[in-house]
Amino acid sequence: MSETMANDYLDCLLNALPADSWNSGAQDRLDWLRRLRNEAIDQAGRLRFPTVKDEEWRFTDVSPLAKLPYKPAQKTSALRLSDIQPFCIAESAHRLVFVDGFFSPDLSRLSKDNQFIIGNLAAPTLTKTPLAEAHLGQHVQFRDNFFAALNTAFLQDGALIVLPENCAVSAPIHLLFIATQEQTTQYPRCLLIGERNSQATVIEDYVALGANAYITNSVAEFSLADNAQINHIRVQRESGSAFHLASSAVALEQDSQYRSVSITLGALISRFNLDVEFNAQAAECTIDGLAMIAGRQLADTHTRIDHAKPHCTSHQQHKCIVDDSSHAVFNGKIIVRPHAQRTNSSQSSRNLLLSGKAQIDTKPQLEIFADDVKCAHGATVGQLDNEEIFYLKSRGLNELIARNLLTYAFGAEVLDRIPVPSLKHTLEQAILNKTTQNS
Amino acid sequence: MSAALQNLVNQPYKHGFVTNIESYVAPKGLNEETIRLISAKKDEPEWLLNFRLEAFQKWLTMTEPHWQNVKFPKIDYQAISYYAAPKPKNKLASMDEVDPELLRTFEKLGVPMHERAALAGVAVDVIFDSVSVATTYKEKLAEVGIIFCSISEAVHNHPELVRQYLGSVVPVGDNFFAALNSAVFTDGSFCYIPKGVKCPMDLSTYFRINTQDSGQFERTLIIAEEGASVSYLEGCTAPQFDTNQLHAAVVELVALDHADIKYSTVQNWYAGDENGIGGIYNFVTKRGLAKGVNSRISWTQVETGSAITWKYPSCILRGDNSIGEFYSVAVTNHHQQADTGTKMIHIGKNTRSTIISKGISAGKSNSSYRGLVRIAPTAENARNFSQCDSMLVGDQSGAHTFPYIQVRNNSAKVEHEASTSKIGEDQLFYLAQRGIDAEEAVSMIVNGFCKEVFQQLPMEFAVEATKLLSFKLENSVG
Repeated sequence: MSETMANDYLDCLLNALPADSWNSGAQDRLDWLRRLRNEAIDQAGRLRFPTVKDEEWRFTDVSPLAKLPYKPAQKTSALRLSDIQPFCIAESAHRLVFVDGFFSPDLSRLSKDNQFIIGNLAAPTLTKTPLAEAHLGQHVQFRDNFFAALNTAFLQDGALIVLPENCAVSAPIHLLFIATQEQTTQYPRCLLIGERNSQATVIEDYVALGANAYITNSVAEFSLADNAQINHIRVQRESGSAFHLASSAVALEQDSQYRSVSITLGALISRFNLDVEFNAQAAECTIDGLAMIAGRQLADTHTRIDHAKPHCTSHQQHKCIVDDSSHAVFNGKIIVRPHAQRTNSSQSSRNLLLSGKAQIDTKPQLEIFADDVKCAHGATVGQLDNEEIFYLKSRGLNELIARNLLTYAFGAEVLDRIPVPSLKHTLEQAILNKTTQNS
Repeated sequence: MSAALQNLVNQPYKHGFVTNIESYVAPKGLNEETIRLISAKKDEPEWLLNFRLEAFQKWLTMTEPHWQNVKFPKIDYQAISYYAAPKPKNKLASMDEVDPELLRTFEKLGVPMHERAALAGVAVDVIFDSVSVATTYKEKLAEVGIIFCSISEAVHNHPELVRQYLGSVVPVGDNFFAALNSAVFTDGSFCYIPKGVKCPMDLSTYFRINTQDSGQFERTLIIAEEGASVSYLEGCTAPQFDTNQLHAAVVELVALDHADIKYSTVQNWYAGDENGIGGIYNFVTKRGLAKGVNSRISWTQVETGSAITWKYPSCILRGDNSIGEFYSVAVTNHHQQADTGTKMIHIGKNTRSTIISKGISAGKSNSSYRGLVRIAPTAENARNFSQCDSMLVGDQSGAHTFPYIQVRNNSAKVEHEASTSKIGEDQLFYLAQRGIDAEEAVSMIVNGFCKEVFQQLPMEFAVEATKLLSFKLENSVG
């Protein structure tokens, strides 16, 4: 795409921006936000709309998106609690619901005596939090990520969670983002700030009502202070015609632990960027991912784990199950900076091709500048093992059931890492349904 | 890195000397005139001139690639002399007529031609700068119908073969440096193994850059007919210069049905001094086409020299059941940069490929493995195994891995694994308590690390490579 077209795209979006998009009443307090947004607009203007000629977008053609400068979604409130019931998670005591990117207090559930802050970013009391100013837009690399810059520029509202020192939240926090409108773009945003010794489990959940075509452009930022421990479960089950563009950025301080499981099931074209940055020693992260796609879906996952400090550990496993003419892309980069000695890092990319027309592009990538490190990565691409199928057949299963069972087992290994039983069960069912669709 | 380790990687370049032979050097610069001059000097047929001109036109439209993980100052392509040849002499009847100065050069390099030819049974087609000076064992090879000569000779004596295959694996506009080579290549080797012939000896060419500032643009073309097999050795050394020299070679291999080509390289161009001054830029395009069924192409390389190495010996596995192999050791020290790897393009059914890559980085050097495994939709039951291991010596070097895996067929099986390690203090300690000094211990550990690749090398090369590695890493560990 030419540069002018890219700028046209941005202009088109900017013209559609409502004038009072953020809480105009408290403008004097929001200088920092205006500055951030203006910078993001500048950066989006400077960065080109990505094309397959960019190394980072080589296998993911987002040009169909450029033709759809969908207007930002408008606020509606037609949804009732019964509409979202299927998506609710039994264990979660705290639920924030965003409909097309706008906070819906009626659908959300917040317990009164919270020891921690949870709410929507645009709520006046929260926007004034100095923490929001200190962290919003500070972790995600919107200076070299076009879509993250767009999200920052068009930011309407989002989820804010602040866990104070020594606060452990036992029940999972559910952040539910529902898309209901056709041909619009929603810009969801999450910001989690975990202070020293805090603990929580957060579920970031993208769902849709109906089979609309729309764009979700989301950004999540996680900041973990010393010894904070966060479980992050990310579920992307958008509509089959949707476009999902997301970035997560995680900043880890000393001894903190970040565990994430990302499940990709929906969207026609999806792209998820995950950046983890080790800012201090002895932090740990475990990242698991599963993409299960079929039809003409494309699921692209780019991860970047930056070992900037010594003695940190990272483990990553990414699996793709690719059926029909779908196309999965994985690019996992691990950087070990000079002096990041005693880094221990492992990465594995495992891919299962179920159909002759399915495509896999995987690139596990190591960039190592320190010598006293343990780094290994592996990648496999293959189909179901004939011997395993034979074994199951010898036990009386027919070929189809044997295949479905093995496919399910391949994916279930990742689901096992989800610490929320009811969600795990729901996703297991979803995967089971997908595998048995072939019968 | 401890002080003892420090004292062990810094061996000066042993092959650094300039031979004073009168040579004809073309004026600097590149334009159509230069190409016509080269073509005229070499008395080439019209079609080859057109081939060069087409490549030059393509080259003009291309830009220098910058995606590779190496840094170098801008190359002024107009400041290079594109043709250097020793002054023409009468045709040589025997080795005695060869310029004694030239012979001494080979002596210093440890390649006494007659000795090597006689004792080792190796036919050496000696490339000195750009013109082939002496070819030995030609007759013996001619007996079985093998053509092994310089490419300029082949152009005159076997134009139909050269014309058919030149540019068939690496097209003139393949990449920036291949286009440049196609436009200005001066000489190289040509090898043709006829149907059903197993080459009775390892064929070997010694390349040598001599004239200061003269870029080397070698062209190698090897064709193995149905059922033929050949093992080809390429070894490189270059004198010590301060200005950077560009080396942009192209190697094309064609294997027809049931043919087998094994191509081994030991590359030890001048790498620059310990401050990264000088050294060769080695920007090479090597590609083999496994065209026929059951054909096999095997690349083995030991890369120890050059300031910058940038090459990806590749296999296009077009024939059903064809096999591609890549075995590589890349050693970098001081400020050297290496971005090397392979491409395995699976097109035919039941094609198999193996990639074993070992990278060792010492000093302030950086080495990258960059590989592509592509399984086309037609490649039923394709199989690939890749292993890339890196060893870091000292905390200022870098090791990088960029493996691209693209699978378009679900019956394929692709595996890739990579690891990074260092020479452990406890390994050194263990060997020390067995009475082995640090230097020898490092050499042992490194050779063990590279063993899988060295095993693939022909005997003489394996010995040479082991030695090369130990003196390359002398004083780097301690």
